Amino acid sequence: MTRGWCKEYTAASYTVVMSIVRNIAGITKGMSITFREMLQPTEVENYPDGPGPTRGAVLQERFRGAHELQRDENGLEKCVACFLCAAACPSNCIYIEAAENTAEQRISSAERYAKVYNIDYNRCIFCGYCVEACPTDAITHGHGFELASLNATNLVMRKEDMLVANVGMPGQLAAHSDSLK
Amino acid sequence: MADVTFTVDGKKLTAPAGTLLIDACRKAGIEIPAFCYYPGLSLQAACRMCVVRLEKVPKLQTACTTPVAEGMVVTTESDEIKQSRKAILELLLGNHPLDCPVCDAGGECELQDMTFKYGAAESKYVEIKQHREEQQWSPVVFFDRPRCILCYRCVRVCGEGMDVWALGVQNRGVSSVISPNGEDHLDCEECGMCIDICPVGALTSGTYRYKTRPWEMNHVATVCTHCGDGCKTTLGVRSVDDGSEIIRGDNRDKSGMNGDFLCIKGRYAFDFTTREDRITKPLVRQPNGQLAEVSWEQALEHAGMKLREIRDTRGGSAIGVIGSTRTTNEEAYLLQKFARTVLNTNNIDHHRTADYASFAAALQGKAGRTASLRDFLTAPAILLLGNDATEQHPALAWNIRSNVRQNRARLYVANHADIKLHRQAKSFLQIPQDGYAALVQYLAGNEAGFDGTEISAAFREALRKEESLVIAFGSEFRGRDIQSLVDFGLGLPNVKFAALGDYANSRGAADMGLMPDLLPGYVPLAAAKHFGEEYPSLPSAPGLDMLQMFDAAEAGNLGALYVVGSNPVERYGIDPTALKNTFLIVQDMFMTETAAVADVIFPAANLYEKSGTVTNTYGDLQLAKKAADKAGVRTDFELIVRLADKMGADPKKLVPFGRGVRADMGQTRGAQSGEADRHAVWLAANNLEPKLSPFDPFAVFDEIQRLVPSYNVSRFELLGGQDKQTRSDLVQIELDPARRDLVLPANDTLFTSGTLGRYSRMLHSVMESRTTKPAETAAD
Repeated sequence: MTRGWCKEYTAASYTVVMSIVRNIAGITKGMSITFREMLQPTEVENYPDGPGPTRGAVLQERFRGAHELQRDENGLEKCVACFLCAAACPSNCIYIEAAENTAEQRISSAERYAKVYNIDYNRCIFCGYCVEACPTDAITHGHGFELASLNATNLVMRKEDMLVANVGMPGQLAAHSDSLK
Repeated sequence: MADVTFTVDGKKLTAPAGTLLIDACRKAGIEIPAFCYYPGLSLQAACRMCVVRLEKVPKLQTACTTPVAEGMVVTTESDEIKQSRKAILELLLGNHPLDCPVCDAGGECELQDMTFKYGAAESKYVEIKQHREEQQWSPVVFFDRPRCILCYRCVRVCGEGMDVWALGVQNRGVSSVISPNGEDHLDCEECGMCIDICPVGALTSGTYRYKTRPWEMNHVATVCTHCGDGCKTTLGVRSVDDGSEIIRGDNRDKSGMNGDFLCIKGRYAFDFTTREDRITKPLVRQPNGQLAEVSWEQALEHAGMKLREIRDTRGGSAIGVIGSTRTTNEEAYLLQKFARTVLNTNNIDHHRTADYASFAAALQGKAGRTASLRDFLTAPAILLLGNDATEQHPALAWNIRSNVRQNRARLYVANHADIKLHRQAKSFLQIPQDGYAALVQYLAGNEAGFDGTEISAAFREALRKEESLVIAFGSEFRGRDIQSLVDFGLGLPNVKFAALGDYANSRGAADMGLMPDLLPGYVPLAAAKHFGEEYPSLPSAPGLDMLQMFDAAEAGNLGALYVVGSNPVERYGIDPTALKNTFLIVQDMFMTETAAVADVIFPAANLYEKSGTVTNTYGDLQLAKKAADKAGVRTDFELIVRLADKMGADPKKLVPFGRGVRADMGQTRGAQSGEADRHAVWLAANNLEPKLSPFDPFAVFDEIQRLVPSYNVSRFELLGGQDKQTRSDLVQIELDPARRDLVLPANDTLFTSGTLGRYSRMLHSVMESRTTKPAETAAD
């Protein structure tokens, strides 16, 4: 009888002691990261006062920012107005009007091009489905992220706002991809 | 034929002997893919997509050419079949460009669907694809040769279906190419059936080309606004700055009486809706004689005040009303109710293109004697008297051709001209232009006045042997001629009739009482008791008809004229100066000859921009749904109600809306007093809700169904988008024998459509519109 009681007591105290040890180990592990980081040199992104077009912000390559509409090697628009991005868009924020290329005025390399290409940034959730859907790699995510506006109507971006600069074609008006008007 | 039993994929199926295996399977819900097979067209067996395994047959067989047989055991899906279909797709894709993102068919392409299903996207071929430049065959037909998979559907639908034979196959083997009859262009009826039926994007439409994608549009099923056939059409619409724009018309779902058929007008001639010269603001003539844009309030106020003044000082008989043949039944009904109860006049008429009143009188009390457009697809024998159906009733001609081709129906044609349907006719009789009445007498056995020949005797003999006949007659028949034709027909067993009139709702305009002597449902004014409660101040004397109104205007006796969607000045050759002393209100889309001399112009919506019901010339009632929208215009329905309101009339009396429409269900006076609201009682009895808006066309449709027995058809099916034949046997009519029919045939061709057709650029762009002359039909 006595021995049985003693056995139970020992088992209980063992459990209590072990839980205290585990807690201490957990705290030590967590704090070790804290203390190690305390000894590292300080790194601060000096946004918005840093250098460069992003004013100090460092963005990962895969960051999904404001969209860019790309051009092909001949300077023609890659977009052929297939509407697949608009179909893929879960927030229904892409609006396209297609038109036909003519011999005199060639905008894209295929039969048709996007006469109007609007993205409503009031609704865009930057999911990247449009980029995945695009069969011609015409739409990509750029790194533009300063999209806030005090006027919601400014948030509908037109094709001219998103089209990349026409490099190598002097005299053309360059639309800067990172600066959203 | 006797039924046979066979097994498909382990399922026991039964079908009549002679049925094609592919049809039997599809009917049982087993999908067999096919490119070249198309129901109703001849067999081609060119694509080899429909191959199936038949037990005890060494090789795979094409389901589209195999009739079912007793005890047949079929496998439609197996690895072997899948492999075979995949190989076929690979071959088809050998030279098929992968330009799906820019191809108009992308999203509704049968080749795309099949490639998704069987996964033949990767090709073993390394050869460079042969590119050919796209060709334009006509303003509406474009051909992209590399996309063509040579299924020959277009060739067959053009030849067999349309009887035009404008497409053919040039060269042999791998060099085969579809080519048009005019070397580099098409010389045809421009119906666009080839584009519609193309399983890929080889044939594309000039109006829809590169504009949008199928999933970007809203698809609205409605009724075509052009001829009297009332084809069902599905309009593809998308939003634009000032409303929504129609970009495509087709009937791919084969939902209506026309199957998948549409003519050039139904398929392309909707471009008038977006013309830049469309009137979108109310115009009022200023004291200086110029028209100026004013606000709706001002225009309605001005028009209402003037109308009221003229009615109160000179009486309702000094006001005339001209209705339209393209507005809905509800608008036509509302317009005549407005004229008869608010303007207190019976001076109301419309452009009549067939003598429906005499037709109704001839058939009254005879149930099941009117032919639907559907009947022409199944009738064993058809008699066509007058009318060039190919030009004036393209869907009728299509149904007749299909019936002759598929069911070996016997077509009898009697016409003064050698019309195209002659080619399908078992027997054709050419008669003098004024010989139709004598022909009917001759057919009935009275030979006086008709030069009988051996041909005509054989024609008569063959007709008399028919046990079931459908008779369609054109506007050559009027008044007593219709009566004698119907008398002749009723002497034969099992005959049905159809009167052929010209515009989308010509029949509806007549049925709804846009006539000076007849109320809705052809009720004579003298027997109007039935309408007493709704038409309290109905003038009992017949009013002026269209011609009398203009005579009265010339004599200075017509104070005001209210024209809704009509162009009488041009159509009847009226001298515009005759209207100088008449206050003219016009509701229209464009500055027509009539609108040009108007004092007030209200911009109106067209049939594609409103909801309601329309009746085709065969009496088939269909639902029209609002598809397009244009900022600035209003429906004729709304305009009539607003004008009545401005004249001080109670809109509740005009349009039964709201609860307790005219009384209070009788509760205050005791429900047994007989004072209960007839309309509310009828609604309750028919399990319908009262409508809450004065602009709801269905409020008026309720009243039409209540007061016009022939229109009291099942609403359930009507709302489901099906056509319902009106009940002509319920019409009660007694016509004055001296009544003038005033029929003026429109004589439209495939490329004209009254005043409306003038505003469609697409109709004018096709070459044939300049070479096709309107048919010569006797005019008054």
